[in-house]
Order: sequence, then C-alpha cells, then structure tokens
Amino acid sequence: MLNDAVIDYCSLSRFQLHHGKARCSKSTSGCVFFSVMEERSSIVKTSLNNVLAQRKSKSYRRSMRSCVEATNLGYTSGHLTALRIPRSRRTPKSRDITKQVDPDQVALLVKKEWELSYVTPLYQFRHTQLKSYSKHLSAFIVSEKQQGLAIEVGQELGFKVNFSVVLGLAETDEDAETVFIQILSRQVFAAKDDAQKVVWSGWLTCVNGDLEYLRSLPSEFVSLPLLCTRGPESLTVLVKSWFEKTFDCCFGPLGINSTNLQWLAALWIGCHPTINIQYLKLVWTLPTLPPMDVKYTIHPQDAWELWDSVRQDDTTDVSIEEVTRFIKGLQSHFFRHFRIELSAGSLMQVSTALGSSHHSGKIKIASPTYITTILQLLTECALLKMPI
Amino acid sequence: MAKAANLSKSDLDSSSGSDLSVSSRTSNRSLRVVEKERRKNEAGDPFLLALKYFSEVEAGTPCIGNDVLERNLVQVERVGLSRGLPPEAISVMLDYAMSLRMGGMMCVRVLKFLIPATMVPQEAVVRAVAWLCVSKIAISTQVLFLRWVLTVFDMIDSKDNLRAIYGFIFHFVTEENLSPYICHLLYLLTRRESVRPFRVRKLLDLQTKMGRQPFLLLLLSLYKVFCPELVALALPSRMRSGFKNHNSTWKAALSAVQKRNNSQVSSDISLTLGVKHKTNSRKRKYHHLEVPSLSSSVQRNSPFSSSRKVFPLEQLHTFPQLLDNLHRIELPSQMGSLLGSSLALCYLDYVQDDSAFLRLNFWLGHALHEEFLFCSGDGSSGSSSGALHLLNRLLSTQHFLQEGFSSTEGFLYKFLNVWDGSLLRPQILGLLSGIPVVPSSCINQLLFEPLVQLFFTSTLFFKCSVIDCLNNMLLKWLTWHSVYALEDGLDISFHSHTPMNMTLSGFMDSVVELVRFVGRLSAVGLQLEGCHSLLLSFILDFYETVCDMFLKYGLPLVVMPPVGVFYPALFATDPVSLDRLGYIMYRYKKNLTSAKCQQQETKQAFHISRQTYREFNHYLSFMVSCLWNSKMFLPGMAIEVDQELLSLSKVAEPWTSFDLIHHPAFLGYALDFHHKCWPERKEMDLNSIKAGKQWDWYLEFLFSQGFQGLQQFVQSSITRRSAAGTNDQGQGDRQPTNS
Repeated sequence: MLNDAVIDYCSLSRFQLHHGKARCSKSTSGCVFFSVMEERSSIVKTSLNNVLAQRKSKSYRRSMRSCVEATNLGYTSGHLTALRIPRSRRTPKSRDITKQVDPDQVALLVKKEWELSYVTPLYQFRHTQLKSYSKHLSAFIVSEKQQGLAIEVGQELGFKVNFSVVLGLAETDEDAETVFIQILSRQVFAAKDDAQKVVWSGWLTCVNGDLEYLRSLPSEFVSLPLLCTRGPESLTVLVKSWFEKTFDCCFGPLGINSTNLQWLAALWIGCHPTINIQYLKLVWTLPTLPPMDVKYTIHPQDAWELWDSVRQDDTTDVSIEEVTRFIKGLQSHFFRHFRIELSAGSLMQVSTALGSSHHSGKIKIASPTYITTILQLLTECALLKMPI
Repeated sequence: MAKAANLSKSDLDSSSGSDLSVSSRTSNRSLRVVEKERRKNEAGDPFLLALKYFSEVEAGTPCIGNDVLERNLVQVERVGLSRGLPPEAISVMLDYAMSLRMGGMMCVRVLKFLIPATMVPQEAVVRAVAWLCVSKIAISTQVLFLRWVLTVFDMIDSKDNLRAIYGFIFHFVTEENLSPYICHLLYLLTRRESVRPFRVRKLLDLQTKMGRQPFLLLLLSLYKVFCPELVALALPSRMRSGFKNHNSTWKAALSAVQKRNNSQVSSDISLTLGVKHKTNSRKRKYHHLEVPSLSSSVQRNSPFSSSRKVFPLEQLHTFPQLLDNLHRIELPSQMGSLLGSSLALCYLDYVQDDSAFLRLNFWLGHALHEEFLFCSGDGSSGSSSGALHLLNRLLSTQHFLQEGFSSTEGFLYKFLNVWDGSLLRPQILGLLSGIPVVPSSCINQLLFEPLVQLFFTSTLFFKCSVIDCLNNMLLKWLTWHSVYALEDGLDISFHSHTPMNMTLSGFMDSVVELVRFVGRLSAVGLQLEGCHSLLLSFILDFYETVCDMFLKYGLPLVVMPPVGVFYPALFATDPVSLDRLGYIMYRYKKNLTSAKCQQQETKQAFHISRQTYREFNHYLSFMVSCLWNSKMFLPGMAIEVDQELLSLSKVAEPWTSFDLIHHPAFLGYALDFHHKCWPERKEMDLNSIKAGKQWDWYLEFLFSQGFQGLQQFVQSSITRRSAAGTNDQGQGDRQPTNS
C-alpha cells in the first residue's frame, strides 16, 4: 500500500479526443493488445446434454460423453471449464423484485458483503424438508463444537438454525428456489425471552442457470451452485461440512476473475441512466516490487459517456468486445496521465453505489433493483466451476 | 437331559481322541465311539455323572463340607480348563451357577472355568440373562458374568434370541457398575431396528449423568450409524479405538483350549475397509484431497428404508457379509468414501446406480479440479503428498473396477493442456492409459495435440513413458473390444441414450488414429533421440500389440509401422531390437495370412487394404534380401545409394554389410562362431561362414542364443532350397501376395 496511487475523480476533459481514437481503432483491428487472455475464451458451444446422464456400464458408451465434453473444452485465464463462457449479455433491466419476493427477505440479502463459494449439485435435497434440516444442522453444529458429546436431534440447543425458502428469485422453471439459512445463538447470560442473535447467515441460489446443464441433471439432484456466506469462518466450515455429509456435494471458493469484474463494472454503468451509481471505483494491482495498488475512481457521468460511446448500437445485448473497449478506454486515459499501463496488472475490485465486488470472491449488492442480473452472472461463474 | 448327556459324551470322545494320529482317528472313529459309548454306559463316565449331579442338585444344598459337590466340581473344572466344555455342559453349568442354587461363591467359581470347547448355546445365555433379572446376584458376579458373555460372544451359536431380549439387556444400562459391559454387549447386538428414540434419550440422559464415557459414546456412535437422523455426534479422534477387551480371566485357558481343539474362531480379514484411521492433522486447506469416511446418510429415500432392514456400508467388514446383505445395502452419505474400500467398490460395481456414479464423479472431479486446475490451496508444494495419495488411490480403484471414471477422463483432457509433463508423471500417465475409447473425430484435439507438445519438448524417459502409456491404452481398448464384441456380436452399436453410437468402424477409426499417431511420434522421436535403443524398445512393445490385433483381439485391422520405425529397428546396433522386429514381422505375417483366409472363406465385407499387403511385402522382401541374401543398395529397393558414393565410402562389398553375419548387431556373434568353428585359424574370414553347412550351424548358433523372434521369422518367411553347398543359400519368399 506504500505505492498507492490514488486518483480521485479524474477529469475527463480530453476524453472526446481519446474516445474518437478508440472508435478509430475499433474499425480497424479492435483492441489488439488487450485481448491477450480473454480472447482464448472463444470456444464452440456444444451440447452438454447427456454429459451427466451417462450410464457407467459399457466402456464404449461411456466414451461418448468424453467426446461431447471434449468439444466444449475451454481455457480461460488459467481456468478450464466445460461450459460456455458467454460473449454477450442482456443489458440489465431494472426489475422491482420486491413485487415477487418478500421485501423482508430481500432486505436480508442486500447491503451486506457476502463471501462466495460454488457448490456441486445437492443430492436428494428437498425444499419440503427444511424443518428437519434445521434440526439436524443445529445438532451437528453443537456436536462438532463439543467433540465427544452426543446430541439428540431436535433438542433445544445453544444454536438455532433456520432454513427458509426465498420464493421468487428463480427466473426459469429449471432454477431451484433460493434457500436462506440463518444461525442464531443464545447469549450465555441472556434471559430466557431475549431474542437470539444472528451469528451466521448464508444462502444458496441459482438464477438463470444454464438450462441445458440443469436439465441434464437427474431428478435426484438439485443444483444451487452459488453459496453466499457471512459470519465466522468456523461456522462456515461446519455448515459446508454438514452439507457435504448430508447432500454429498462439494464446496470450493468462487473468485471473480477480472473478466467478470469488468462485466460487473459494465453492467453497473449500464444502470446509470435509471439509478445514479454515484461513482465507479476500480482497483488494480500492478506486479511491481512491492506490488502497487491503483485506485481509480471515475465520475459516473464520464463513465456513462464513455460507455455510451463504445456501445455499438442500442441492442439489448452487451458484448464482451464492448466491455473490453470500455475498460481499455479507461486504461488509456490513465496511461495518458500517469504513464502507468494498467492492463499489465490485474483488476481486483469494482465498486459503485449499486454494489461492490472483489477478486477474492466477495460481493455486496446495495440495491435490490438489479439483483437478478448480478446473481445471474455469479450463477454462471459458479456453474463454470462444476467438475462435470 | 439323558439325551443331552449322550450327545455330550460323543463330543467328548472326539475331543479326547486327539492324541491319536489323524489317519487312525478318521478311520477308526465311528468304531471307537460305539465301543467307548458301550463301555461308558456300563461303567458310568464321571464327567457325565458330575453334570447329572449339577443339573439335578436342589437349591439350598450346603456347599461347605460337601464332598460330593467338591468331587463333581473338580471333575468338571478339570475338563473345562483342559479341553473345554461341550455346549450341553455349558448350558447345565451356567444354569446351575446363575440360579444361585448353592450361593454366590459357587457361581463365581463355575464362571471361571466355563470355557467352551466348541460353542455356547444361545439358550443358555438367554436363561442366564433371565436369572440376572430375577435373582440377587452380587454386582461383582454380574460383572463377571457379563465379561464372560463378552469373551465368548463370538462362540454363541446364534444371536437372534439375544437380540429379541435387547430391551431387557438395555434395562441394565442404568446400573452404574454394569453399564460399560452392557454398552459393549449392546454394541455387539444392535441392529437398526433396535435403535429407538427412547433408547437414544435414555443414553443421552446417562451421558449427562456420567459425563463423556467412551463406552456410551461408542454405543451412541453405532446408533448414529444406524439412525443418523436421531443423534448427532463427533467422536474425538483419540476415542476411535473401540471397546476394551474383558477376557483377562479366561484368555489363557481359552487360547489353550482352542489350540488344543484346533478350532480357532475364524477371523477372515480378506478385504479390509481401508481408510478408517487416517491422520486428521491435515490442514483444512487441503480438505478436498481427503477421502471422506464412510458414514450412513440421514436421508432415507431408498426403497428399502421403509422396511427398516437396511445394512449400512459402514458395518460391512467381510466379503461373506457383502454377499449376505447384497439386497439391502445402503449407500453411504458421501460417495467419495467408497474410494477407500474395495468391498464397497465391489458393491458399487454390482449396483450400477447412475446417481451413485454421478455423485462419485462429482466428488472426484471436484477434488481433481480443485487440486490441479483451480489450485485454490495456493501452497501447492505442501499438498503434493496428498495429491499423490489421492491419485494412487484413484489408480488402484480404476484398476480394481477395470474402468476409468468419467470425471477423471474429463479432468485429464483439461489437465493435459497445462501439465508440465513432470508433476506426478507416473500417476497422470497411468490415469491417461485408462481412458475409454475416444471417438476419432475429437481424438486429435483432446489427446494428440497436447501430447505432441509434451512429447517433443521432454526428455527421452518421458518419451518412453508416453509410448508405454499409449501402448497400455491401446491394450485396454482392444481388450474392451474383444470383450464386448463377443457379447454383442461383431457389430457394436448400442441403442443407448447417447447421441453417438460407436460402431465397429467408429472404433476401428479410433484405433487407426491412435496407431498412426504413435507411428508419427515414434518416427520423429527416434530421429530426435538418435534411435536410442531404450525408446526403440518401447516402440517395439507398442508394435507387438499392433501386429496381433486381428488374431489376439479379433479386430479386422492390420496397420504396418512407418518406415521411420521399421528401418531404425532393422539397422539397430543391438540384436534384441532386431530379434523383436523379426518376431513382429512373423506375427504380421500370421495375422495377414489368416485374415486373408477368413476373407476368402466367409466373403465378409471387411478387408484389409491392398496397401497394407504391399507395405508388408515390401518390408519383408527388404528384410530377407538384406539379412539373408546380402543384397543391398540395389536399384528399386527402398534404400538406394549412388554407386559412386558407395565406392567413396571404401567399404568392401557394401551389400553384405547388413546380412546376418556382418550386421552390426550380429557381428559379435559371428566372430564368436568363427572362433568356435575354427579355433586354430589365425585369419578371420567371416565369409567362410556362408559356405555349406557352416551357414546352418551359424543359424543354429544364433537361435540357441535366444533369438526366438529371429528364428520364427526365418522359419516362417524363408523357404530354403535343399540343395546345400550352393552359394545361394536362401530365397526370400513372399507368401501373402496382394490379391
């Protein structure tokens, strides 16, 4: 942090000039040097269907899958996936989800920072069994905390677990409904009637998950690929371990790579006409010795104008090229002033008034209006991590 | 009781006759039994009389100063401690002791010599438990009795009735002094149906009263195995050892009796459940590498669950158990745990459950991806031993199931692109050799492209191991083919739910692709490594598989090696390579001739292309003229060298330089032979070997040096003119002609 270069509200007075140049370069060859890593993400989309519904029996038969799987082998900045990486997205549409979702539940989700994980499909998870899951999880937590003490399931304990469904977040029929989990703890010296304190919360969700992938899963599996958690690490570990034991699933950390951070920045900028995003703050880390963090804050109006100028037409889709061009525009502007090539570093953090997200897999959604757009992107990231 | 006494007597006879030799025992046994029985019935066996006494003695008989009692007791005690008591005697004595007919002192004394010779009748134990419920036995004696039951538990003939009185036994658990033993006994008797909520609650009450007693926790952990929905428990790692042994009182006597009777309680530990006690010290970071432990699932959704007759895999310890419970085994909560247990894998292979495989694949794929592709545990050096462990286990599992997992396969295709070729090489190549047939349309992109890059940029040893890996892969594909082709007829098209069906021709395409690929790799590899004989040896291994595809695996396909492999092998400086080339050519010939026969006989659609025959004939004639006829560098042959250039080399008779005598691989043998033939000669004249009988002898000499491949080649491909003594000894013969 010694070398932090903090630039606040860079004036973009000379922007038009630069922006004209950007247009120029678009017409010729596009962003040449920027697309080093991301261009490799171009892969052929093919059917993933039947990947999962494979039977084990005969070797020949099994080998089919490998072929199917093979064709959508992709390679993106160190991560390999079997699913398609989207090259374009819909523009975020503002949607008042409080009409579909209980506002109290929405309030639980927004304005908090969540840590992200991905989850493989849950085996025999039933939305109807949430009550018994609550009992089991609380008994499990207590028994793990007190090694060597048997706990009766269903007994009143120091920890109380609430499982609940957040109805209405799902976008398609294939999306499983979101499940919200709260762990409450009774304070040691609290009176009987005192309200218990929430010590941990988390939710499993799937918004607009890849239809083919979800359909290819056998009916015993429920895919809720994205887990957001908040609370002490020890409890997160216990909850994950209980899920692993109960639903035979696996958890892994879900980072947001720089491409996805760029997507988020673009999506948030796109919201500016309807909701004032107030600022666009980007943080880069440059591989110098010692590493240099660059915090780059842009006035929302400037950012919007740049974004508007790189948009090719007013279609509802935003393409990866537009996003890249937008970021490249910001980077060249920075270079013009400070002679620091931001593209040599990696984008670590993006934040606006609508929310913020960090490379290490943290996200905060401030406004419920665009929550589905963000969750869709995160669901996508989580599905890309699925091993099969 | 009289009948029982009779039976026991014959039992005794058989055990008392153990000092006789085995043969006489078996032959004379029945005769002897009859005779002894008669004699004893007359005289009265003191042991039987003693038993009779104890079964009939009335309650309240004084024991102090009772000589009859003492005499009988000593009689039974002696038998008990030396040979062990027969089941009937156990029954009588236990009933006598536990009924306290002569007081507690007697009871203790009897229990101490109650050593079973063969087995303990269940009814005796049940009756004793009944006595335990009604009579006023001293606590210490009760403990002794329970310890005795635990010691002989494996010798109780059946446990059904004992399980029927589970509730009565459970009742004693609240007795503070008894509860460790009762818990142990219950642990041995518990079935799923005996785990009830009220019992769980009772035990938990006891836990609050007595604290964390190991015996309670062990029983509760078993309850958790059967009904995880009732009880939650995390056993501390130090407590996983199990119950103590309580057999101290009887141990010595019991083992002596068992040794004497030669009837040890069989303990078959043929297949073990592997990973029970693993180090838990590994950090959370590498959590994904840990194989989860077997535990039953909370969810009861299987069709058997309603019947309550479910057998958790956790309880499975022997193969017979597996066979007995095959119909009601319940899969564990985490399928990844199966990797640690070969028994469980047997079951998995048997059930063929789609979702079970999918669960296993999810777990495995996740572990592999996290470790090798996502690298989320950033200190990859620390986890390498864990990764090694996992891969080794995966390899042995795949070896055991004789099939690869689909998640492994998917992982490998991705990993090959980023692999440096040295990280865990044996394991990765081992897994790679196990992948199922890859359709020819994508084999290039998935397999060949990444392999080519690795192959040409790595060391000789890596090249060898890649060729070896591909050889193993081909062997596995061919084996699958031969198995399933037999099963489904020659046309292998499956009406499955997959979009593509692999037909025989599809399979052949894949095999051809693979063989050609290895051909290309080999040719260039040999050039790069200067025809290194180690690499050549691995390549010849591969072609030993290829040349026999038709005869050995029933695949109507013959692919010849490329020139880049054939000539380096032919001109190799070591005789072994040449010998193996001879063998390979011999097998090619066998395969081609029989393919031709079959083609003519059955008029089947398949045929091996003329090009293949042409290539073979070409190689064969070159080999014969080079090795046998000393004809080289002639116009029209594969290797032509300008005459002037040859003369520049100043080699005399260059055309002979690769025949069986002058070939660098055999020159040493030729010199040796020359020396043996003409020990007195001072001047070396190798050409003299070619003359007359010496040539035959020389061949014999070579064959006797272990060049079987060469021998087969010569015998199959060269017909020799009987006219001996002419200069022209052999004639290349081209049998499989192109039609």
